[in-house]
Amino acid sequence: MYGRVNGVAVVGVRGHLVAVEAHIGRGLPSLTLTGLPGARVQDARDRIRPAVESSGLEWPLRRVVVNLSPGNLRKEGAGLDLPVAMGVLVASTQVPATRVSGYAFAGELSLRGTLVGTPGVLSVAMAAARAGLRGVVVPADNAAEAELVGGLHVVPAPSLREVVGFFRDAWTPPEPRTTAPDRDTPGHGVDFSEIRGQAQARRALEIAAAGGHNVLLVGSPGAGKTMLARRLPTILPAMSREEALEVTQLHSVAGLLDGGGLLRERPFRSPHHSISLAALLGGGSALLRPGEVSLADQGVLFLDELTEFRRDAVEGLRQPLEDGRVVVSRMAGTVEFPARFTLVAAANPCPCGFLGDPRRRCDCRDDRLQTYRQKLSGPLLDRIDIQLVVPRLSKQELLDEAPGEPSAPIRGRVEAAREIQRRRYADTGYPCNAQLPGPLARRVARVSRPAWDLLAQAVDGMALTGRGFDRALKVARTIADLDGASEVERDHVSEALVYRMNMVDADLARAG
Amino acid sequence: MRADRVRDPWPVWPDGFTAGERERRAALVLSALAGLRPTTLIRAAAEAPTASACVGLVARGALGTDEDRRFVRLLRAERIQATIDRCGARTIVWDDPEYPPQLRQIHDPPFLLYVRGGRLPEASHAVAIVGARRCTDLARELARAMGRGLAAAGVTVVSGAARGVDAASHEGALDAGGPTVAVLGGGIDATYPASSRGLFGRIRERGALVSEYPPGVPARAFRFPARNRIVAGLCRAAVVVEGEKESGSLITGSHALEFGREVFAVPAALNNPLSFAPLKLIRDGATMIRGAEDLLEELGLEPGSGGRRAELTLAELAALRALTGPTLPEHVARELRIGLADALTLLMELEMRGFVRTVGGRFEATLAATMATTG
Repeated sequence: MYGRVNGVAVVGVRGHLVAVEAHIGRGLPSLTLTGLPGARVQDARDRIRPAVESSGLEWPLRRVVVNLSPGNLRKEGAGLDLPVAMGVLVASTQVPATRVSGYAFAGELSLRGTLVGTPGVLSVAMAAARAGLRGVVVPADNAAEAELVGGLHVVPAPSLREVVGFFRDAWTPPEPRTTAPDRDTPGHGVDFSEIRGQAQARRALEIAAAGGHNVLLVGSPGAGKTMLARRLPTILPAMSREEALEVTQLHSVAGLLDGGGLLRERPFRSPHHSISLAALLGGGSALLRPGEVSLADQGVLFLDELTEFRRDAVEGLRQPLEDGRVVVSRMAGTVEFPARFTLVAAANPCPCGFLGDPRRRCDCRDDRLQTYRQKLSGPLLDRIDIQLVVPRLSKQELLDEAPGEPSAPIRGRVEAAREIQRRRYADTGYPCNAQLPGPLARRVARVSRPAWDLLAQAVDGMALTGRGFDRALKVARTIADLDGASEVERDHVSEALVYRMNMVDADLARAG
Repeated sequence: MRADRVRDPWPVWPDGFTAGERERRAALVLSALAGLRPTTLIRAAAEAPTASACVGLVARGALGTDEDRRFVRLLRAERIQATIDRCGARTIVWDDPEYPPQLRQIHDPPFLLYVRGGRLPEASHAVAIVGARRCTDLARELARAMGRGLAAAGVTVVSGAARGVDAASHEGALDAGGPTVAVLGGGIDATYPASSRGLFGRIRERGALVSEYPPGVPARAFRFPARNRIVAGLCRAAVVVEGEKESGSLITGSHALEFGREVFAVPAALNNPLSFAPLKLIRDGATMIRGAEDLLEELGLEPGSGGRRAELTLAELAALRALTGPTLPEHVARELRIGLADALTLLMELEMRGFVRTVGGRFEATLAATMATTG
């Protein structure tokens, strides 16, 4: 007796259709899994029989072999519980084989036969759609994400009993809620209007959002670096549906979706500096999970206390910063995750944190300052266009300030500037100023004569390096785009020079 | 002002303490003993009036620490002489005619000086500039300007070669092509702080490095106060720029007052801990000066070429006026009724021309700006 149903193995973020074949033959009662099942799939072996029996169905008391094909793909995840159970039920003719072949199955089973929410269901649904299947059967908890894939019949089942009922025409799934619970209005819970003072930092973040630039915030404890960084996602342009799907898929695979539908707000991730390399970049021993860089995809990755992060972790960020993706290689295989994020790094100006603060004295020893400075000016800084010192405000300075501009109008300006860039770079494939390679930036930036002169002057007067030059140029281009100016003018360059590294560096150098 | 608090003459070295080659070599040995403070030694010298006699006292355990007693047996004058020769230094002892006469008037004068470089200046042509290592940018600028002004007027600038104010005053003097003398807190071959190694070389070429310690003695903070008495002693006047409550600058200034030298101090804000030394010295009788011009005027010297008047637009002038201390850019924008981006642009242009600098995310006017707007 033979049965066959569709399952999906998720490798990285991508789902691969897997044929789950079941054979019931003579022999002592047993269940054997073949076809390179991962540890978690093997683990399912002992819970499938109880789940079937608890659902009022019969487990064939014979030798059962379930094969997962293709055999060269290592299958991971708990989502294969349901297809294995269904394969056995089809093989034992408890479920009619005809309609089953149009569906893909995913979901973890409990011993009572209920379907438990499972990571990666969005990837399952996408794989099913790609394979031209009619629908998917998924745990009710994951219905919202599965419904994001158009043209697919989603059967949200609370337990195995209903799944079997559905194919015996004894149970009708509830109609999908007409509007999937898209978290429609980005509910960040924070807003730019909550920032008091810090006009320069606000401006810098607006420029960063408009050009896709990475940011380094240097400032004393309590200056508000975290508060500023947390609000950057609220002024980034709204995500397109494709971007949102990508983010949702990554969060689905990581099991962070919590039963909701499409993620509309850009993610903000702030890993602690003790984070392991695998947790930051992605990996794990068997199941390759997206790391923080991928969970921050399309959003903001905030590294507070940059100097405290492990050196290899910081260096590992260079690939995602350059390519917008991260490749994770493990024994289990090589997987690529998207990781296009805006990096916001924060650091104290010195080990004690009060260098340059007018109201508190820095009492760091010179050699420690020197070491700290070297640590801060690592290779990562080459990828950070906007670097600024955030002052710790006095009570009076805070009281002087009216509440700031809310996020919405800022986001409007940012989107307008991004639109200009999109049109300018339409045939180059680069989305924004920050992504542009230096030589290309110099060619296409359209810089006026006086602006060039000023940049040249800065090279001499401020010891701007070649990379520093390119960074200043790109930031100036973004400032011009915010201005709606076709040419980069002298004023744009002047302002861009405010956000250069030497400013941070000079502050540190003076102390050293 | 000239302090008139000169007390009873303090003990000095007996004549002949270092006379002759034998005594000079004994002095080399004495200078290498770490536990022997000049004050103790000078009192002992009243009984044992030659360097070799004092070495004998140490060897017998009648003078100095146990460490010294053990160490003095191992010391060989020839070896010390060899290290001196190796680093190109020479020695000046108490009985040498070259011994700076102004040093004979201070308490605990050194019986031996190690020198690398040229002649030591006459007191009438030497002025000390001292201040904090971790100083403000303003202090650094002031020290540099004063160093430049003094050198242009033909005066040798004496300081301690430390980071901050000391280094800036040496550099100012070198900028103006003048000689400058650095008194080191470590051995004469010292290279502390490492960041000033290049500076040491230039000082040696155009002036002199001075120390009372033989080569190989590490620069340690406990030796710095002793060094300060030589800085003050070598000069007719001392200028204190910034210094905290327990700082070398304050010690140097107090020494200078005690030795009857003229003392000048640059005041700064009351709430700045770095103001303690200058303000205390002013209260104790030092003369308040506001910068290089005041200093030269007080010393009766001709200022060299004066500061340049700068071309500033009305907007730039207004921006500079808005900078009262470290100021946030939005404050400047508000004062000038312009947008933040415009204010940042304006401040950046000023920074590139040296009129503005950034401090911890705020902007402040430089000394050059103060001179350009008021001068």
